[in-house]
Amino acid sequence: MVEQYDVKLIADKIETLKRTATELKGVSGGIQAIDRNADRILASIKMLEINITDVVDIIDEEQTKR
Amino acid sequence: MRDSEKYWNPVLETLPPEKLQQLQLKKFQRIFRWAYEHSKFHRKLYNDAGIEPGDIKTLDDIRRVPKVEKAMMRSVQSKEPYPYGDMLCVPLEQVTEYHQTSGTTGQPVYQPDTWQDWEWMAECWAYILYAHGFRNHDRVFIPFGYNIFVAFWAGHYAAEKLGCEVVPGGVLDTEARILKMQEVRATALMGTPTYLLRMAEIARNKLGIDPPRDLQISRIATGAEPGGSIPATKKRIEEAWGAKLYEHSGATEMGAWNFECTAQCGLHVNEGLFLIEIEDTETGELITEPDRMGKMVLTAFDRIAQPCIRFDSKDIIQWSPIDRCECGRTFRLLKGGLIGRSDDITKVKGVLFAPSSVEEVVRGIPELGNEYEIVVAKKGEVDDITLKIELLPEHSAKLNSVQEELVRQLRIRTNLRYNLEFCDYGTLPRYEIKSKRFKDLRKRG
Repeated sequence: MVEQYDVKLIADKIETLKRTATELKGVSGGIQAIDRNADRILASIKMLEINITDVVDIIDEEQTKR
Repeated sequence: MRDSEKYWNPVLETLPPEKLQQLQLKKFQRIFRWAYEHSKFHRKLYNDAGIEPGDIKTLDDIRRVPKVEKAMMRSVQSKEPYPYGDMLCVPLEQVTEYHQTSGTTGQPVYQPDTWQDWEWMAECWAYILYAHGFRNHDRVFIPFGYNIFVAFWAGHYAAEKLGCEVVPGGVLDTEARILKMQEVRATALMGTPTYLLRMAEIARNKLGIDPPRDLQISRIATGAEPGGSIPATKKRIEEAWGAKLYEHSGATEMGAWNFECTAQCGLHVNEGLFLIEIEDTETGELITEPDRMGKMVLTAFDRIAQPCIRFDSKDIIQWSPIDRCECGRTFRLLKGGLIGRSDDITKVKGVLFAPSSVEEVVRGIPELGNEYEIVVAKKGEVDDITLKIELLPEHSAKLNSVQEELVRQLRIRTNLRYNLEFCDYGTLPRYEIKSKRFKDLRKRG
């Protein structure tokens, strides 16, 4: 029996993280210590997208709910 | 055990096959469009073939996309933007990692990666190590000379990602590495089959350390050579270390694309991150049925600096007849791992010959050492094969019976006759990363 996860909710949280990291770069004033670390955060967020977000529109509705 | 503990990513790893195919199509469309829009090389390649991103509507359409061969990559490199040439899809300043292929088949190919690509490499490996059973309580020793070759770099970062404690073996020599493993009580290890055998040999013969008794290694990740899927080699390594050996495959240009799970019934293709096509080596026909060998064509969906789209890998693989692994993963299985390279699988005396079949015979005879070398040459108009092996010193009295057994098994497994050359123990070359045990002198003209 395959367990079910609320993939849509997880994807929403990933999107929020991405938006926040992108906004952080927008207000950094070009401070490298912020921009470069935000880039690394965004690369990690991309891995979350690969693992979850990419699948959201493919999984059946009933599979996305616990 | 909950799925979230059993799999690195239960969402992808248990996705029904038809959903996996939908995902693969969507991801192929995305990387194809990316390459088309960001690389002059890819745009020209696809324009010349009369195909553009909007044409990819089904998985069958992917078969129309031209393949990329290593020679094509070499031809565009060493040009601007130096040294990667116009396969590069990002500005040079976004490249954070340089690696290169080992060059065993010619001029090395450069591999640029962005930080995102490098995260992706580690992510591929995270799937591998988690499936092997590596967990955050493991202390992982990596006996690898960290350098320009990808090898176990990503394994290092993936182990960290899993929460393991990583001990980098780096520039230590083999003896020092073994002693360090003993000192820190390492529980897991990574290495090529060749080097794992060599390490165990040195531990026992030079240091008086019996790995199963004196070390605490319980699991080993291996790759880079076919050995991990050759039963006799796998058995030797597992016995030499008293540990379970798990295989994966990967390459610098492709990433790490398959893995063995703890059920050990074949290699799962990571179909969430890669598309694997198997083609008949002569006709190019797509092979979907099990137990039929063909050449692998690989697409990595998420690597962006230098995309790998329909890469003609020359690796020979076959689908497994096992429809569903007991581990519950839906990723398809390969039988026998990487069987060889199409460059190596050649006709000798008119018979199709795979060097890995000789390894299975040699490593299956306990009186023989781990090393061997195959040399094929022309003797007049006839192919002539010499097999060099080492008899273990403690079995020197058994030379005749071992020779008879070797001849018998080679005949059964390969249907060929060999000149056998017994070398003094310890005189055949020992390798650390990739071995070169098959020499086809006929190709030298």
